[in-house]
Amino acid sequence: MPMITRRRLLAGSAATLALPAFAHAQGATKPRLTAISQWSAGSDGAAITALGKKFEERGGVWQHSPVPGFTTEMMNKLRAQIMAGDPPACSQLKGPEIAAWSKIAPTVSLDELVAAAGYEKVVAPDLAKLHKPGGKWIALPLQIYSTNMLFLSKRAMDKAKADKIPVTWADFNDLAEKMKAGGVAYPIANGGTRPDDGQKFEASLAGISPAAYRAAIMNLDKKALEGPEVKAAFVQVRKIADWMDPNVGARHFSTNLKRFVDGDMGMMIMGGWAQGVLRNAGFKFEDFMIAPGPSDNGKPVFLLNADAFIFWQRKEPDLQAGQALMAQLVMDPAIQTMYSQITGSIPVRTDVDLSGEGWSDGQRRTAAALKDAIASNQAVLSVAHNMAQENGLTAALIDVITEYVKNKTIKPEQAVTRLAEAVESAR
Amino acid sequence: MVRRLPEYLTIWVPLLLSAAHLVSFSLWTIWISFTPSTLVPVSGWVGLRNYTSVLASRNWQVAFDNLLLFGSAFVLLSLVTGLILAILLDQRIRGENVLRSIFLYPLAVSFVVTGTVWSWLLNPGIGIQKLVHDFGWTSFRFDWLIDRDMAIWTIVIAAIWQSSGFAMALFLAGLRSVDADLIKAAQIDGAGPVRMYRRVILPTLWPITITVIVIQLQFAISTFDLVRALTNGGPGIATQLPALVVYDLMFQRNLLGRGAAAAVLMLLILLSVLLPYAAWQYLQRRRAPHA
Repeated sequence: MPMITRRRLLAGSAATLALPAFAHAQGATKPRLTAISQWSAGSDGAAITALGKKFEERGGVWQHSPVPGFTTEMMNKLRAQIMAGDPPACSQLKGPEIAAWSKIAPTVSLDELVAAAGYEKVVAPDLAKLHKPGGKWIALPLQIYSTNMLFLSKRAMDKAKADKIPVTWADFNDLAEKMKAGGVAYPIANGGTRPDDGQKFEASLAGISPAAYRAAIMNLDKKALEGPEVKAAFVQVRKIADWMDPNVGARHFSTNLKRFVDGDMGMMIMGGWAQGVLRNAGFKFEDFMIAPGPSDNGKPVFLLNADAFIFWQRKEPDLQAGQALMAQLVMDPAIQTMYSQITGSIPVRTDVDLSGEGWSDGQRRTAAALKDAIASNQAVLSVAHNMAQENGLTAALIDVITEYVKNKTIKPEQAVTRLAEAVESAR
Repeated sequence: MVRRLPEYLTIWVPLLLSAAHLVSFSLWTIWISFTPSTLVPVSGWVGLRNYTSVLASRNWQVAFDNLLLFGSAFVLLSLVTGLILAILLDQRIRGENVLRSIFLYPLAVSFVVTGTVWSWLLNPGIGIQKLVHDFGWTSFRFDWLIDRDMAIWTIVIAAIWQSSGFAMALFLAGLRSVDADLIKAAQIDGAGPVRMYRRVILPTLWPITITVIVIQLQFAISTFDLVRALTNGGPGIATQLPALVVYDLMFQRNLLGRGAAAAVLMLLILLSVLLPYAAWQYLQRRRAPHA
């Protein structure tokens, strides 16, 4: 197979060398796409395989090489390929890393295709900005998760004799106290990984004040970083930490799911993907409730995490045609629907109707929260999942947060100073 | 000369290749540590900026303190454990071969496995503490894994479990090679077993002791997989070690220049152990003919 493709490529490239824009090349050759991502197993693997099938249905040749494991391992492969002068036509990459990586190798401008699809109008503005560093679309978001969804255990709610979903942090703290009094061993179910700890902080700060979150974490404004909202967020994080199981060590959040459903643990602040994990573990929708994370002004705050594809410049006309086809597919509402229904995320497009079959209540609520959050300018980028800052800065911030969660002798004011210092030294 | 060509080839080609490999990549890393490289290596000169920023970072400071504590505790304790095991095995006991294999066996287990297994054993919720609680002693506490002040000791424990068998094997070989006449002479002079070990046998072991110390120290300095599997540097950053910092900077934070600087700092720590050892060996060899 690859032999034939390469021969066709050689034959085709001579004819189409004179046509620089891939839009022209599309008709001439059979589109082919080389892609790398970390998605190999579970619902992620299933979703990208389904996307590949669609690509093939449209007459394309799909060559996806998954790099299982952490995102960083996928990045190491990408780095090696770029340095060897042979980047994939398209690769998984997200957040500010898109801008950083676009400086080390030429990328493809997708402006024409995005304009033709009228895509920009239906994407959250902060998200759009990430995918067009320097003003040009070079990457396309694929699916969205919120990192601050609130999961409530039904049995823990029963123990607390509560049925109201908390809206503000004060409600949340009340409910946690009630759960504790009602015999729930640990009102907060939490893993011990770095992103896990980071999520507690970002949910706290953005819930207290989305504007402060934007200034301090997204724009690294020194005054905001040392402001009262950041301190209040650390105070809230300490409360959450005191309600967690201290034995969690560095374990993954999913190890707690059974205790969460059993009502031994009460609430979980987690990304929307936890719904898929809960369902895959065999738990029913009756076992838990999902709502947007606490927000002190009552309107939903949405911490955005979005997977995306970046497109690397290739000379081969069949790859260029493949890139065009891939871009069209990724922007297509039907494809986004298919993808999100497999993974449990929500579509990037805000105009997809989620009332139909195949969507869960959690997904509908998440999509509604995104719409409201965009309308009230409360959709912000997640720092725990590398959306707000580049990896180096994110890691420096999470260092401070994770140490604060684990070390209860650090006072909130100290944490504020350390956070500001970490930003200063990582810059 | 021609007849011995195959011998020269077998020795020199691999030796030169590996030396060139080692030296060229070390030099390359040193060069990178002075450049502003982030995602990919780039040329340029930033002087000592990468070094000052690594040395100023909390991660490195915690890692360095941990290395001092872990390195000395691990080397000392594995030395003592290995020596005690070797002396006990040296008593001409039955089943020595079986016991020796058992004590040596952990060495054959990968550090990732050691780390994972100990992370279960030491987890207070599912491991030893839980077991003792289930036996009825409910006030028993053994939660070092999640105690940020004690967590570094869990790595010491796992590392000793893994490699004291190695020290034991070397010591046992040393004990067995002590001159029989010496022991006879001591026995005739009426030395008891304790006195015999203290005064006659152990003093002959000190070259082996130094070897064990150096080998264990260079292992301690480059420890990576054990911590990664056992605590992953946590709770928080409490069990950070230099090798973890290097990996983190290079491949998770995409800061190649700083990662390279941290790697060079590690090399310097390693040299501070190896150079005195090499000097000592050199002196030994020079003194030997005159002795």
